Amino acid sequence: METKISVVEGKRRRSVSQSLVLVMLIVLLAAVATAVNPRFLKVTNIINIFQQIAVLGIVASGVGMLLVAGEIDISVGTQVSLMGVILAMIIQKVLGLPQGNVAAWRVTFAIPMAVIFTFIVGFILGLINGIIVIKSRAASFIITLGFMLVYKGTALITSGGASYMLFGKFETLGRGKVLNYIPISIIFLLGVIVVAHVVLKYFRYGRFLYAIGGNKKAAYVSGINTGRVTVTAYIAVGLLNALAALILISRVGSALATTGDSYALDALASVIVGGVAITGGKGNALSIFLGVVLIGLIGNALVIMNVNPYMRDVVIGFIIIAAVTISTLSGERE
Amino acid sequence: MTVTANILETVKLSKAYPGVQALDAIDFDLKYGEVQALVGQNGAGKSTFIEIIAGSLRPDSGQIIIEGRSYPSLEPSKSIELGIQTVHQENQLVNELTVAENIYLYNLPQTGIGLVNYASCVAATERLLGELGVEIPPGRKLKKLTFIEKKLVSIAKAFSRKAKLLILDEPTASLDEHGRNILFDIIRRNTKKGLCVIYISHNLGEIFEICDRVTVFKDGRKISTHGVKEIDMSTVVREMIGRSTASLYSKEAGAAPGVEKETLEVVDYSREGVVDHVSFTVRKGEIFGIGGLVGAGRTELARMIFGLDRKDSGRLVYNGEEITAQDPCDAIQKGIGYLTEDRKENGLMLGRPIFENISIARLAKSRRVMMSLGRERSETGGISKQLNIKTPTISQRVINLSGGNQQKVVLAKWLYAGSEVLIFDEPTVGIDVGAKGEIYRMMENLALQGKIIIMISSDNPELVAVCDRVAVMRGGRLVAVLEGAEITEEKILRYSMGVGDKE
Repeated sequence: METKISVVEGKRRRSVSQSLVLVMLIVLLAAVATAVNPRFLKVTNIINIFQQIAVLGIVASGVGMLLVAGEIDISVGTQVSLMGVILAMIIQKVLGLPQGNVAAWRVTFAIPMAVIFTFIVGFILGLINGIIVIKSRAASFIITLGFMLVYKGTALITSGGASYMLFGKFETLGRGKVLNYIPISIIFLLGVIVVAHVVLKYFRYGRFLYAIGGNKKAAYVSGINTGRVTVTAYIAVGLLNALAALILISRVGSALATTGDSYALDALASVIVGGVAITGGKGNALSIFLGVVLIGLIGNALVIMNVNPYMRDVVIGFIIIAAVTISTLSGERE
Repeated sequence: MTVTANILETVKLSKAYPGVQALDAIDFDLKYGEVQALVGQNGAGKSTFIEIIAGSLRPDSGQIIIEGRSYPSLEPSKSIELGIQTVHQENQLVNELTVAENIYLYNLPQTGIGLVNYASCVAATERLLGELGVEIPPGRKLKKLTFIEKKLVSIAKAFSRKAKLLILDEPTASLDEHGRNILFDIIRRNTKKGLCVIYISHNLGEIFEICDRVTVFKDGRKISTHGVKEIDMSTVVREMIGRSTASLYSKEAGAAPGVEKETLEVVDYSREGVVDHVSFTVRKGEIFGIGGLVGAGRTELARMIFGLDRKDSGRLVYNGEEITAQDPCDAIQKGIGYLTEDRKENGLMLGRPIFENISIARLAKSRRVMMSLGRERSETGGISKQLNIKTPTISQRVINLSGGNQQKVVLAKWLYAGSEVLIFDEPTVGIDVGAKGEIYRMMENLALQGKIIIMISSDNPELVAVCDRVAVMRGGRLVAVLEGAEITEEKILRYSMGVGDKE
C-alpha cells in the first residue's frame, strides 16, 4: 500500500509540473526578450501579442477539445481560409465595394448576413468532417488531410486567386477596443477559453470527450453514443473556425484564399505543447491556453529581439519535438 | 563450478524499487526436464523474477547460475543465447505476417542475393511444427488463426531458437480445455527430451496436472518449494495468502435463493453461424453460469444481449416486461450491465482516474448537461469503499491498480449505473486468488439483493463453486442446463466437448 501512495504522489507532482514547465518557459522567453529589448514588456506590446494570438487561440481551443477525444482535424487552417474568402466576398458583393453606392437595406444587412452565413458554413464543414470521420472509420488525420486539400481548392476556386478587400468595412471585431483599451478579439479569445474549460471540466459532454479519448471501445460499452459526441466535437471546431475567420478577416481587412492556412499546424502545435496527449484522453483548457501563449510569444519575441523571423518555425518545430519526446518518455516510465 | 543437476539456480537474488522490496534474497533452482510452477498473488514478485531471468531487468544483488556458470545479471540477448525463452501472456506476433515469417522473424533465411528465402523458411517451420505436433499451415497469415493457434505459434517461435528453458506466463489464460490439452501435451513431450519450464499461472488445477514442483512467492520472498505430489491445493493457497481455501470457495450457508417469481427470460437469441436459437431463464437471487469451450458462442451471446452486436432474433424479458437492448446505450437505460471479457480493451479507460471510470455509465444514462462534481466524488468514493477497491485515492488512475481492483472498478461502474441485470464475462481471468474470492462474494451478495447475475466462465471449478445453475454451450447451441448436484466439473466438460451426453 505504501508504495502505491508514493507512486500517486510522484505522478501528481509530474502532472502539475507540466503546466508549470509551460509557465516557466513563457517567463523565460519573456525575460530573454525583455533583456534584449525592454520594449517587449510594454503593455502595448503585451496587448499586441494577445491580439495576435486571438485567432490561433480560438482555433486551438476547438482542436484541443477534439484531440482530448482522440481525433485530429488538420483541415482547420483551410477551413478558416475558405470561410474568410466567403465572408469577404459576401460583404464586398452586398455592399458593392469599392464604390458602395447601394440601397440602404444592403448597408444594414450586409454584415449580419455575412456573419450568419459564415457560421452556417462552419457548421456544415464541421458536420461533413465529423460524419465522414466516424462513418469511414479511417484515421481522422487522413480524412481531414483530404478535406484540407478540398477546402484549399474550394477557397482558390471561390476567390479565383484574387484578394477581397473590405475597404475599412467590418473592422470592429478585429481592431475595435473596449473602453479604447482592450481589443475585442482578446475578449472573444478569453471567452472561448473559459467556455472550453467549463465544458471540459463541468459538462457531461466534456467527460464524454475524455472517456472517448481514454478508450473509445470502453466508452461505447459504457453507453456513450461515441459517434454523436465525435460529430458534435467536429461541429464545434467548425463553428470556432468560423469565429476565427471573422476575427482574422476583420483584423487583416482583406481575404486571400490562403489567409488562414498556417493555423492548422500552429493550432496542433499549441495543443500538443499544451500537453494534450496525441492519443487523446488527457489535457485541459488552461494548458491549451498556455500552449497558445507560448507558440504566439515565440513569433513576437523573435521579431522584437531582432532575430531573423524565419527562425520562428525552426524554434516551434524543436519545441514540439521536445514536448512530445518528454511526454512520451515520462509516459513510458509509468 | 561443479556440474549440477540444475539448469538454473539463483542465489540470494534481490531487487528493490523505490519503497518496495520486489525480490528479497531468492534462492531458486530448476532441474533438467522439470516443469516448475511459480505461484503467488499479484505483486508477489513473479514478474520481476522472470524478467531478471529473461535479462530485461538487472538484479541489485545475488547471482544467476545457468548450467553451472554464474552471472551477476543478464541481457535479453544473453538470455536468448543461453536458451532462455519467454512466452508472454499477450502474444507478441505480427498479425499481417504468415506463421513461418513470424516464427523466423528474428533471423529470416536468405537467398544468395540477400532476399528472403521463403521456401526454406516454410520448410523449417513445417519441420518445427511437426516436431511439436502442431498442425497449422506455415503460409497462413497470423490474423486468420484462432487464439490457441497463435499461442502455439508463440511457443513454436520459442522452440525455434533452441529453447532449453521456457518461461510460460499464464499460458492458458483464455484458452479452453481443448487448447490446454494441446499445450500440456507439447510440454510433456518436450520435457522428456530435457526441456525445462517455469510455469506461471493462477490456475492451481493446471499446476497440479502439469508441474513437478511448485514454488510459492509472497511479497518478494520465496515461501516454499514442494513436489506437487507431496502437497495439496489448499496448502498452496494458504501459503500464497495465509488463509484457507474454504473461506474462498464455499458459498455462504443458508444463502440459497428463495423461490422468486421475478425472472429474466432470454428468448431465442440467434445469429447465423454464431449463436443458434438460445433461450434460458434466470431466476432472481441465483447465479446463473454459462460454461463451454472458447468459441462456443458465449461471449457472442452476451454481446448480443447487451446490444453490442447485431442479432437475427432474440428478446429479453424481465419480470414480464420487454427489455431487449438495441445498443449499449439502450441496454444501460434498461438496467443491463456487461462486464466484458477483456477489461483493458472494452471495460476501462486505463489512463483516467477511478472515479471517472465508475461514474461514466451513469453519466451516459443521465440527461443532464452539467455534472455535480462533488456528488460524483462522494458517491463514487462510497461505492469504491463498499467494494473494497484498494487505493489511496479515487483520483488514482486505473492503470495503476491490480487486476482484481480493476475488475471491481468495472463492477462499481455498473452498480452505480443502477444495473439490475449483470453479465460477468470471464470475471476472474488474470486475477489473484484473494481477489477472486472477493469477486465471488460480491456476486453472491448482489444475487441476494435481487440482481440477476449471469456468469460466463471457462474455469470449470469456478462455475461449480459459485453457480446455482450452469448452462453449457457448444457450437453456438445451449446443450444443457445443470442444477444442484449435477453441477460437476466432469459434466460441464463432457457437455462442452460433446463427449458421451447421456440423454
